Amino acid sequence: MASAQIKKEEIFGLWGTFVELVKVSLRAIMASKMRSFLTVLGIIIGVLAVVTVLSIIQGVFASFFKEFETMGADTMFIRPNYEMFKSHVEGIRRLKMTYDDALYVKENVPDVKDVAPFLMSTDQISYRGKKDSTQIIGTTESYITVNNLGLDEGRFISNVDVATRRKVCIIGVDIIDKLALPPQCVGEEIQIGRGTYTIIGVQEKKGGSFGQSQDDIIFIPLTTGIQQYGQTVANQVFMVVQVKDARRMDDSVDKISTALRRKHGLKFGQEDDFRIFTVEQVRKIIKQFTSISTMVVTAIVSITLIVGGIGIMNIMLVSVTERTREIGIRMAVGAKRKHILYQFLLESVTLSTLGGVIGLVSGWGLAHFIVFILRKSVSETFPPAYVPIWVVFLSLIFAALTGAVFGVYPAYKASRLDPIEALRYE
Amino acid sequence: MAALIEVSNLKKDYPMGSAGVFNALKGIDLKVEKGEFVAIMGASGSGKSTLLHLLGCLDTPTSGSYLLEGTPVHTLSSDQLAELRNKKIGFIFQSFYLLPRANALENVELPLIYAKIPPSERRRKAMDVISFLQLENHAHHLPNQLSGGQRQQIAIARALVNKPSLIMADEPTGNLDSLTSQRIMELLKKLNEMGNTLILVTHEADIAAYAKRLIKIKDGRIISDELMKKN
Ligand SMILES: Nc1ncnc2c1ncn2[C@@H]1O[C@H](COP(=O)(O)OP(=O)(O)OP(=O)(O)O)[C@@H](O)[C@H]1O
Ligand SMILES: [Mg+2]
Repeated sequence: MASAQIKKEEIFGLWGTFVELVKVSLRAIMASKMRSFLTVLGIIIGVLAVVTVLSIIQGVFASFFKEFETMGADTMFIRPNYEMFKSHVEGIRRLKMTYDDALYVKENVPDVKDVAPFLMSTDQISYRGKKDSTQIIGTTESYITVNNLGLDEGRFISNVDVATRRKVCIIGVDIIDKLALPPQCVGEEIQIGRGTYTIIGVQEKKGGSFGQSQDDIIFIPLTTGIQQYGQTVANQVFMVVQVKDARRMDDSVDKISTALRRKHGLKFGQEDDFRIFTVEQVRKIIKQFTSISTMVVTAIVSITLIVGGIGIMNIMLVSVTERTREIGIRMAVGAKRKHILYQFLLESVTLSTLGGVIGLVSGWGLAHFIVFILRKSVSETFPPAYVPIWVVFLSLIFAALTGAVFGVYPAYKASRLDPIEALRYE
Repeated sequence: MAALIEVSNLKKDYPMGSAGVFNALKGIDLKVEKGEFVAIMGASGSGKSTLLHLLGCLDTPTSGSYLLEGTPVHTLSSDQLAELRNKKIGFIFQSFYLLPRANALENVELPLIYAKIPPSERRRKAMDVISFLQLENHAHHLPNQLSGGQRQQIAIARALVNKPSLIMADEPTGNLDSLTSQRIMELLKKLNEMGNTLILVTHEADIAAYAKRLIKIKDGRIISDELMKKN
């Protein structure tokens, strides 16, 4: 009973001291806002750079890998070889891959079990006055088996739907919320672009990956899509190919490649105008990508650490000198050395963490702004910037750590002051 | 029972660079009992502040011994001295020494923070002392919004808040006009009458007259030590 009481008081005391220290730190920081801001500018710029670069790269990364999400070991993804051209936009203008290519591969390569051709677009959607937009996938009945998708309700696109270009759709679960659809929505009619579509199925919830929901999507018959979205989209029909034997993947890739080259009339020595991705390749790209972004982050973080840290140390040393009298007063009323040490250490950590927060928020803003500009100038479909949670934590931890490391020396200096000398200082 | 303060042959030397050392205190013997009100007088440079700092555990002597309530202060580490200052000693300085960015209440709370008192209790104790000094209306003012006399009263509240065994005042009226000085001295006298032990450094006779005992220092030595006749 008594010991519990003491413990409680001790904890209160510790907490009280901590709260007091944070308060004192914030007060000191706020007392000279401009100086504090300039002090942490190094950290702000560092974190801002990391967050901006990473969130744009991660956004591209996320949208790129969305396509490969459901790929199994026996499937490959084929798209036009946009890398042949300087820009993606030019690639889209100059390269063609069509529904015909998919049919050709399926008919002419014996290794192939099934082919799911698909086109992608984004469009306005609405239901009883509620409006939104989403990603539209135009595809065939093969898509569901090749990609291992599940349905909650209804059915997927059928042969007949594709043959007769029916205006039917399967929705991802996010669409229910987006359009405030009734719980039993199969049979309801929604507006997609200029057409009215009947919902025939609801896709099983897939969750998100790389920050983008996989359920914010609508599937329609491929032919309906070609009719609705026109020639540009119809010339960018990608495909997921499923082979009969996953162990002979490399061999199958060669055969499909040969077939497509023949179909596209490519001569010997001409570069492929399509690219084939297998799970193995995607893994390799992920690895490469990860190591590049790690390098970028490490480089920027190290610079931040040094430049930002030196700035903080410098100002903290000035601050200790300016507040010598305060230190003396605190010591006179009973502050131990460790109290003074913690006070100044916490102040530099608070300062640098605040810098980290400012950098984080402005980096987030800048990334979205850059994407906005890129969408206006380069491509309307440029993927949205995306800040992964690990970037948030990492930059804050690094910012705090910088404050701690470079705050140690000034704080130590403060704690070693002699009470009398400190009181006399003027 | 041990005396509150028992000092024998206390010496303090200050290094003077190549010129060797300066003997600021040259062997002080002194006993102060609980409840006393002692004034220390002497010319400028005679060593009054040096002695007060030693007695207040702010500084350590070069040699000699100092027992505070039986505790051998001269053997303690800097952290132990800090704890002693926190628990047993309240300081009042000539230039108040309040934290400029903290309001009156927070200044009074300061010693309690280092005594690890929980926030609510801290606030209550600090407010108690502030209301005892009738300064409630100024509790949330910053030092620069207070008059000199009010600042010194807040400093006194800070010295009192942790219920110290000993209150040290180094020229507490040095920066105040004579009327305010009188009020502050009346307050200190009242505190003494309530049982607090006070040691006051001054070089003004009429300020020293408030004390019950007068010690005179010259060149680092006590030259007289007498009880004052009360009128
Ligand atoms: N840190 C120090 N280094 C060197 N000499 C010092 C130091 N502190 C005090 N002294 C010297 O010791 C002597 C006593 O100083 P002290 O401050 O105790 O005087 P005082 O009696 O309080 O004087 P005053 O009435 O002017 O405040 C002075 O001669 C002073 O110059
Ligand atoms: Mg003095």
